[in-house]
Amino acid sequence: MTVIRLATPLRPFTAGQKEIEVSSRTVAEALAELMGRYPGLKPHLYDANGDLRPFVNLFLNEDHVRTLQGQETALSEGDRLMIVPSIAGGGGKGSGAEVLTKVDHAALRTNQALIIAMLLAGFIADAAGLVLLVALVMALGALLGRPGFAPIYRLLRRMHVLKPDVLPDHPQPHRFAQGLGAVVLLGSLGAFLGKIDLVGWGLAWVVIALAGLNLFGGYCLGCAVYYWLNRIGLPGFTQTPPAGTPPGKRAGSSDA
Amino acid sequence: MTLVLDASLLRNLCQHAEQRYPEEGAGLLLGSVEGDRRRATSIKLLENRSVPETRRRRYLIHAVEMLHAEQEAEAAGVEILGVFHSHPDHPAAPSEFDREHALPWYVYLIIRVQAGNAMESRAWKLNEDRLQMSELPLMVEPSDHAEVLR
Repeated sequence: MTVIRLATPLRPFTAGQKEIEVSSRTVAEALAELMGRYPGLKPHLYDANGDLRPFVNLFLNEDHVRTLQGQETALSEGDRLMIVPSIAGGGGKGSGAEVLTKVDHAALRTNQALIIAMLLAGFIADAAGLVLLVALVMALGALLGRPGFAPIYRLLRRMHVLKPDVLPDHPQPHRFAQGLGAVVLLGSLGAFLGKIDLVGWGLAWVVIALAGLNLFGGYCLGCAVYYWLNRIGLPGFTQTPPAGTPPGKRAGSSDA
Repeated sequence: MTLVLDASLLRNLCQHAEQRYPEEGAGLLLGSVEGDRRRATSIKLLENRSVPETRRRRYLIHAVEMLHAEQEAEAAGVEILGVFHSHPDHPAAPSEFDREHALPWYVYLIIRVQAGNAMESRAWKLNEDRLQMSELPLMVEPSDHAEVLR
């Protein structure tokens, strides 16, 4: 038996019960068992897509399940699973624009990995055509507002190679960062057309380095530029970094 | 529903809010539910975990702090009744951002700090439709037991 303990705001939906005993073997099963018994809880814990709401946190004994195996974490006899909210708010104007939406960071990382791989392959094979291809994919992605290589990511997801990593975040800075990368690559193509290959590959390497910083370091320079432009009040740059996250750093990288 | 708060606790909350000015201060209200009343008998003063650039208009309490507060409350036989935070140079009414992030059931106590002085304290609760927050009567009276936790 595992005990699920609920933070006070959730208790009105369990007829005032603070603790509920479940016999499930994983965190996911325990949540499903809880929802089955108290369906009124569901809209407060999950959004319309069936994902846990960003401020809902699950602790198994003392550990955030995010630091364990997520919802696949196994439960043992005597475990305590606590559902705890993180709390945010504050005065100030223009806050309506600060509602976070969900951004799948696994899709972003797949995009970065493919950008790096294709540009590296282009560099090794001395094939500027690959730079053109990546530039077009990134430009199209920026225009459509999704990662350029999203179709490949979806394919990998369907093949169960990759799992989504959905974080509360603003999509606009990522779109801007991708557009910025496309612009740098267009500059690179201009250099190739002008027969200045050194500059062409130099600019391609700038994109490789920044995509790598994002992929491996969790830092999105293009996103930081977006937030800096917001700070100086440039029209169109309406979003500010998610609460608790420095500009450019991966959303939710602090324990919020 | 009414929030009943000990006078010395309210003074402590105001001092905390003034000390944090021009940034927002944050904390928790703990106590018991007595029918239609929420009686806060202790407060827990917390650090605002929002990034420094945003602390003047945002506050954040980490989940792990909420976990520890829940555990302490459980051990002390009290409940977390709600959350308090300050609005530096801003009315003691919930902003749109406050409403969007509000949880059901909790009482939200907002203290307006004008030019470094705590001016006004008002209590709010999220409506069931989540579309608005309604003001609650705030009753300040002395109690036998009042405790400030840090």
